Amino acid sequence: MKRTSRAYGIAEGMGRGFLYMFLGLSSLLALFPLWYELAASFSSSRAITAGEVLLWPVEFNLHAYNRLFEDGQILVAMRNTVVITLIGTSLNMLMTILAAYPLSKRRLMGRSGLLLFITFTMLFVSGIIPSFILVKSLGLMDTYWSLWLPALVSTYNLFVMKTFMEGLPEEIEESAAMDGAGDWRILTQVMLPLCKPIIASLSLFYAVGWWNSYFQVLLYITKSSHQSLMVKLYQMINQVDASLLNHAGGSEGAEQILLTPEGIKAAAIIIAVTPILCVYPFLQKHFVKGVLIGSVKG
Amino acid sequence: MLLPIILFYVLFKYAPMAGEVIAFKNYRFADGIWGSDWVGLRHFHMLFESVDFWRVLRNTLLLNVYSLVFGFPVPILLALLLNEVRKEWYKRTVQNLLYLPHFISWVVLGGIVIAVLSPSTGVVNLILKQAFGIEPIYFMADSAWWPVVYTLSGIWREAGWGTILYLAAMASIDPLLYEAAKIDGASKWRQIWHITLPGIRSTIAILLILRMGHMMDVGLEQTLVLQNQSVLDVADVISTYVYRVGLQNMNYSYTTALGLFQSLIGFLLVVSVNQLIRRFGERGLW
Repeated sequence: MKRTSRAYGIAEGMGRGFLYMFLGLSSLLALFPLWYELAASFSSSRAITAGEVLLWPVEFNLHAYNRLFEDGQILVAMRNTVVITLIGTSLNMLMTILAAYPLSKRRLMGRSGLLLFITFTMLFVSGIIPSFILVKSLGLMDTYWSLWLPALVSTYNLFVMKTFMEGLPEEIEESAAMDGAGDWRILTQVMLPLCKPIIASLSLFYAVGWWNSYFQVLLYITKSSHQSLMVKLYQMINQVDASLLNHAGGSEGAEQILLTPEGIKAAAIIIAVTPILCVYPFLQKHFVKGVLIGSVKG
Repeated sequence: MLLPIILFYVLFKYAPMAGEVIAFKNYRFADGIWGSDWVGLRHFHMLFESVDFWRVLRNTLLLNVYSLVFGFPVPILLALLLNEVRKEWYKRTVQNLLYLPHFISWVVLGGIVIAVLSPSTGVVNLILKQAFGIEPIYFMADSAWWPVVYTLSGIWREAGWGTILYLAAMASIDPLLYEAAKIDGASKWRQIWHITLPGIRSTIAILLILRMGHMMDVGLEQTLVLQNQSVLDVADVISTYVYRVGLQNMNYSYTTALGLFQSLIGFLLVVSVNQLIRRFGERGLW
């Protein structure tokens, strides 16, 4: 008996060591491609081409970043993305709160009908073309309203907010109502302070979504000066993509086109993820809660 | 308070649904939706007779099947492992590293994937060459490799994130069960098999069924950034086809018919899946 339990102990110890190693390796593997790009962005293009870059910058230099910022286009694109993200997120939160508050009240007239009306749009998702035609006929092309208006509210986040509000104790609100506060005052002065954690996590979700999205911009924004950072990056990657195909075709000249942008592309990638990495520590405090509330459907 | 939100849903969610009517018309932008001629089911006939339709439908379903078969078990496995980690800081670090890709744009992730897999400068091919002497593989331009890249990149982005719900379900398992099992001399494996897995069974079932409800959806942003001309035979899915043929070649009505087909099948899948969940005695989605 004693021996078997000790055998178990050793087996478990080994299992535990293996477990820690496996998890450590998989998380490093998840990080590695990003790390590699970081190293490449600071390396000379000679070193990248020669395959000398693995974990650390080789022949450290800022050449790629200098080239990237040279023509100022990337700065304009960054500014555009910041505008899209800030205003988009503010509009999202305004609409989400305004909609979630009344919907969280059981006494709301026609509540179940409204909820069905909203839920149905999650089930039947209409295609790209009708939305495109709508945005075009509203004359929103090449304005950022073409991005903001069709995405004013994410139905999923609306339900998360509503579920959270439903979980708040009703007594607080009732006592405020007793003191003569109207719906608007209750919402702004009583509910909002209580909702701070969920407001924080939903804002971050919305903001990350705006920062990362590129397809809508690709569809609706045609002017080069209005382009977002992600679309600039997308175009850069597609270029490389095209030259890679030429390369596959065996033409010699293509190699030059392919080799030059590799470091610059890495630099652009690093610039595009840096803001995400900066908010990530704040994000991770909140997102698990957001996900768990979302999974408890109300 | 509710007026803006109702307006929003009517204008930007329900109006496009009404706009699906152009699938039965010959839509031209100059004529408008109402001014265009009715053509009945002509676009659907054309669709079902075209080779392209069957190709994009097959690709859409296949990519989903790959993601389901290879991608679905990964978060469960990771969650089981994470659940055994006793050192809090280690667990949290691993979790944060695994969650990170979920927050990064597909443009960035796709760019990284393409760069890392590049046949001439990509680190993967360099390692393969130096360690195993394998000649460079054109991962992105090879129809056999592309679905592998697609599936693995999907796992890279979402597997860590997918563990959250499983870990929450595991956290709600009664610790007394493990105590009792330990006293009875049950090994770690037996504890996982007889306590942890049954404890998350309903979570697995629900997530699996939900996943089945989305067999017609393929992440447009992921596919678009990863695909290129030479792999369209395996990488062209319904949504990218609609984008390319519909918007870039302005074939509005024909591709709306395809989009409508996708929406309808998707709708039927989700609704029947919800019935299924209810039949299992779990709470449905609505």
